[in-house]
Amino acid sequence: MEDSVSAAKKIIASYHGPALRIMEVCGTHTHEIMRLGIRRLLPENVKLISGPGCPVCVTPVGYIDEAVLLALKHNAVICTFGDLIRVPGSEMDLAGARRRGAEVRMVYSPLDSEEYAKAHPEKEVVFLAVGFETTTPAACLAVKKAVKDGLHNYSLLVANKTMPNAYLALKGSADAFLYPGHVCAITGTAVCESLVKQGISGVVAGFTASELLAAIAVILKLSEAEKPFFRNCYPRVVKPEGNAAAQALMREIMEPCDTEWRGLGIIKGSGLHLREPYRTFDASRRYSLPKITGRSNPLCRCGEVLQGKCLPSDCKVFGTVCTPQHPAGACMVSNEGACSAYYQYGGT
Amino acid sequence: MCVGLSAKVLDVNDGTALIDASGAKRKISSEFIDGLEPGDYVMVHAGIAIAKITSSDKDETGKIMEKL
Amino acid sequence: MDDTVTLAYGAGGKQTSKLIKDVFKSHFSNPDFTEDDAAVLNVGGSRLAFTTDGFIVSPYEFPGGDIGKLSVCGTVNDLSCMGAQPLYLTCSFVIEDGFPLKELDKIAASMGKSAKEAGVRIVAGDTKVAGKGQVDNIFITTAGVGRLLDYAHTSGKYAQPGDAVIVTGDIGRHGCTILLSRNEFGIDADVTSDCAPLWGTVRTMFGVTDQIHVIRDATRGGIGTVLYEIAAQSGVGIKLNAEKIPVTDEVSGVCRMLGLDPLYLACEGRMVVSAPKAQASAIVSALHQCPYSKNAAVIGEVTSGMKGKVVMETEIGSKTLLPQPSGELLPRIC
Repeated sequence: MEDSVSAAKKIIASYHGPALRIMEVCGTHTHEIMRLGIRRLLPENVKLISGPGCPVCVTPVGYIDEAVLLALKHNAVICTFGDLIRVPGSEMDLAGARRRGAEVRMVYSPLDSEEYAKAHPEKEVVFLAVGFETTTPAACLAVKKAVKDGLHNYSLLVANKTMPNAYLALKGSADAFLYPGHVCAITGTAVCESLVKQGISGVVAGFTASELLAAIAVILKLSEAEKPFFRNCYPRVVKPEGNAAAQALMREIMEPCDTEWRGLGIIKGSGLHLREPYRTFDASRRYSLPKITGRSNPLCRCGEVLQGKCLPSDCKVFGTVCTPQHPAGACMVSNEGACSAYYQYGGT
Repeated sequence: MCVGLSAKVLDVNDGTALIDASGAKRKISSEFIDGLEPGDYVMVHAGIAIAKITSSDKDETGKIMEKL
Repeated sequence: MDDTVTLAYGAGGKQTSKLIKDVFKSHFSNPDFTEDDAAVLNVGGSRLAFTTDGFIVSPYEFPGGDIGKLSVCGTVNDLSCMGAQPLYLTCSFVIEDGFPLKELDKIAASMGKSAKEAGVRIVAGDTKVAGKGQVDNIFITTAGVGRLLDYAHTSGKYAQPGDAVIVTGDIGRHGCTILLSRNEFGIDADVTSDCAPLWGTVRTMFGVTDQIHVIRDATRGGIGTVLYEIAAQSGVGIKLNAEKIPVTDEVSGVCRMLGLDPLYLACEGRMVVSAPKAQASAIVSALHQCPYSKNAAVIGEVTSGMKGKVVMETEIGSKTLLPQPSGELLPRIC
């Protein structure tokens, strides 16, 4: 490993090309880049931007309000990834709902929430389905199992999203993308390759130190030619065709819709919802939820941070009103959020 | 997003697999991967295997760097 | 500040310190009030250490121990951190209506056994029974007193640039064990709590040198929290070497699965020590001979720069700030 790490570091340190903005769109990339102190290894004119890759950060305030409503008013047991517990809603987060007596359970997998519902027919169970192409198949599998098990007490509050239209929306914000390895493991690389024709460059990157450094080194090298490029730097996990079985199940259970991204607004066709035959598992229909437009802190600049238009430290509330203990914006909540990572790792 | 866990497959049985990540074991769904066998390595996310892993990160980045 | 006390205030991080400072310290303020694990008091010419600790662990029995053992070791270790030989403990039980007597007997037996091992006497106690649902099975509070070794002068305030930072064993085992015992995530791993009485360990270190500046018990919040406390109290920086920090494969596997960092997982039998570099290898060699510190290691050093911060040297040779511990630990999945 030392060899490829030092080879990559050498290429990175000796880069003399034009100024570059590289955007990662995966929270785990953000996290690892911070943990490894990779920004400190980059030359002055290469900027790493943390884009909208963490599902927690792009989930609108209204979604949390809906989950809180389900927990407190409809007495539903909320099953969720730990990531969502402290995302601020308009009035409170899910930890606040829990304090008021709601049952909020953390799960490792959507399948665990289905099993919990099966084991507790007396309870109404709602899984908070967030995430991108990597996570969505697991939620779809849970729906499939719920059908098979004939569950009537189980539903999903769906806010799953897909990346392709987000890349297009962010086209002007970066010179090259670090494509999220685990999203590509499901989707394959056709989308990234077709983006080259639209002038969008990027490489698929893995998550270990050597993989991240190698991917950045490849971007710097390929940028020298000054024409759009694509390279899969994570072929041990990402195959060109992706995971066909997961794609098929997603298509069977869910269909595209327009959806709101916190800070970015509505991106056409970038969301997913349950197809008609599975709508009985849609929590918003099951509980006839009103459409909630959440209120977020007006000073919060999460949206601009996500687009790389400003640094977390450019935001007025960063580190003062908005801290990991008391997040005002979603980017401060998730450990992977750009603001939280900046705060925790001292803006490095 | 998408915390991925590389893990070794210990056992496969009817759409589920028992995996081992340096001693941490868990049952996961293997429905999305065909022909999985004990001894294979998989990438796991949120309780499902999303891909088979075909080599180590060190070997792979070694090759990528060689090509550059 | 929030209007209510939340779980985050009990997690041992920034908010716990804030609670102590803003609420307790402002009302209790006196010259003997301490930020260390135990207060050092001059009583009739001898230096005594005095402390207390409450235990509410769920489940109350777990691989490697139970709430009884924990309640004795916790207070014994807090005293030991000051270089004080633990002498006497008191204990107070709050027990839920309907709690099985047989279980209580098991817990008491485990307390007796741990006290014996630590060489401490449990000399007084109190019992309260609370209504169903008012407590979760059983809560135990212990208090303890110990006599300081003549040459022991340790405090979180005494870390000095040039000190080596030592941890007395692999980290995160207790937190990981409890996480697995609750069985919320369906993960199975062969991990047992590191819960142990550490007076013998501390005695051994003082046998090597009396120049030990800091000994801190890394409990909730893990060593990450303790290191930040030492950096703040002593007004120094701390530089860690990521590759030197001992973590077992199993703990690291569980952490990778749940997106957690072992640095913030609780220990119940691990000390973080700051002592002059020249003494470090002798201390570590001596620790390797003790039953509860076979994996002791030098993990970093105290620096004069980066005051109040903990810097991590990563596996790729870069440096990065260790994130400040905050709030309750939430697994990160999506």
